[in-house]
Amino acid sequence: MTSPPAGPAGPPGGPVEQARAVIEYCYERGWTDGLPVVPATRPAVESFLEMTERAPDEIIGSAPHLGRSITVAQAAANAVMAGCQPEYFPVVLAAWEAVNLERSARGAWQSTSGPSPLIVVNGPVRGRLGINYQGGVFGPGFRANATIARAVGLIVRNGYGIRPHELEQATQGLPGRWSVCLGENEEMSPWEPFSVVGGVAPGVDAVSAILIRTCEYVDNRGTDSPEAVLTDFADTLARLGAYLGGGHSSGGLVLGPEHAQLFGRSGYSRADVQQWLFEHAVRDRADLVAAGKGGSGGEDSPSDPAQAGTPFPMMPSARDIPVLVAGAPNAAISMVFRPFGWAPWSGRSVPVAWPPAVAAMSERSESNGG
Amino acid sequence: MPEETAVYDSIIDPTLGVATDSPAGPTALAERPRTLSGLRLGLLANIKRNAEEFLDEVGRLLAEQQGVAAVVARKKPDITSTAPEPILDDLRRGCDVVVVGVGDCGSCSASAVADGIILEQGGIPAVVVCTDAFTASADAMAGLRGAPGYRYLTVPHPMANLTPDGVRDRAAAAVPGIARMLTRGAVAAAS
Repeated sequence: MTSPPAGPAGPPGGPVEQARAVIEYCYERGWTDGLPVVPATRPAVESFLEMTERAPDEIIGSAPHLGRSITVAQAAANAVMAGCQPEYFPVVLAAWEAVNLERSARGAWQSTSGPSPLIVVNGPVRGRLGINYQGGVFGPGFRANATIARAVGLIVRNGYGIRPHELEQATQGLPGRWSVCLGENEEMSPWEPFSVVGGVAPGVDAVSAILIRTCEYVDNRGTDSPEAVLTDFADTLARLGAYLGGGHSSGGLVLGPEHAQLFGRSGYSRADVQQWLFEHAVRDRADLVAAGKGGSGGEDSPSDPAQAGTPFPMMPSARDIPVLVAGAPNAAISMVFRPFGWAPWSGRSVPVAWPPAVAAMSERSESNGG
Repeated sequence: MPEETAVYDSIIDPTLGVATDSPAGPTALAERPRTLSGLRLGLLANIKRNAEEFLDEVGRLLAEQQGVAAVVARKKPDITSTAPEPILDDLRRGCDVVVVGVGDCGSCSASAVADGIILEQGGIPAVVVCTDAFTASADAMAGLRGAPGYRYLTVPHPMANLTPDGVRDRAAAAVPGIARMLTRGAVAAAS
């Protein structure tokens, strides 16, 4: 038995050993987020570029303060490295665009807060690419979810050169940084898709993104009262630790299907849930003062003497409490997430742009019930 | 081994985009005056808490102790970006030396160093003040701007939670270093 040919220019060993050597090379170059990457080759990048009509040298992101710009081809190389399949690439591009709609995104990657995008996918693309929107939606275990989110992180790292302990100064970061991409469970949501809130027509593949600092679960399986569950959410939303000073805190909800359906059955629209939470996610001003968060004493601050005794609203507005639905209907559990900084969600979802051939193919498969 | 290199050369470097707006090459520092006496001092603050208070006190002390003749104070609106061109232009036209600060977060430490280097490129001696928690991001920006090893002044972290007295003490402790770095002989070329 002969060993496989090493090829004209291969590192020593058979193909598997060679693959390992190439992965090690990528580590040595500082190109990875700590996990192995798939080496980006020209044919691989070209197969990704075939999935978009955008020009390879189109600039899709700039950090003028760093003197760096990111091109479509560079995004493709990083998506290859993240482990994406070529057909994920239009979703990566839409996710990147959605992330960049966030007003806070530009300086965020260097911030001590260390935020990460919560990427939300709507539309039939979830089924076509196997984007999980059911059990275990925060991951891991699903290639599309894991690698689309990771691609965004590698674009920031390799495209902008923002690496931890250098330009990236996260104090602690957060669990799941660059790994949260979830489908909305539209099928079990009582409301219109989240992307429709973001301005995209129903049924259209779309991506939304919100920079977040963490997620915290709310486990409430003991009641059929929507107000009781809302009370539980409001308590977590109003947590003192999430308040930065300077006006208000921020928060949103990824509702598990059981909680979402309880609201639906009880006649609550998404806007009703948001309004209820805005009105009830309040704190006594004295609580904030006791925690050293009383602020300047000015009109917007908890310690304003003219407003002593009135409740302090912790959320910026009803509309700025994003609410979506994901997960399995097997327990009444939901997740509160914490948008980064003070800027509310951009409120805009980005349609996924498919090249015409792929769009035609997927329409056929959907009309066949595929 | 040349054969191995050939294989690795077929891997696309994900850090290479387009060099449309890459900063200019290595920066030589502006020529330092012998003394601050009679000079116009610029203060470039960011919007971080206590930055302006710190710089104002530095200005007051440099006037009192070193004979600085006039102080021009400017504040930039964005912690991530370098100062807008009109502000930089004001400082270049209206000042002989500038103090930049305070870099006490991930973004603003890096952008403060970038402001300092831009001023040096315009011929204005500048001292950037960062807290000692952010030397890594300050150094990374210096490297990115073609000035690896660029020297800035560190003060103890944190700055934002200091009382007015604490800020004044921090400024008083920093002033001798600031004066040294703005005058002749103390700072070699950056790279």
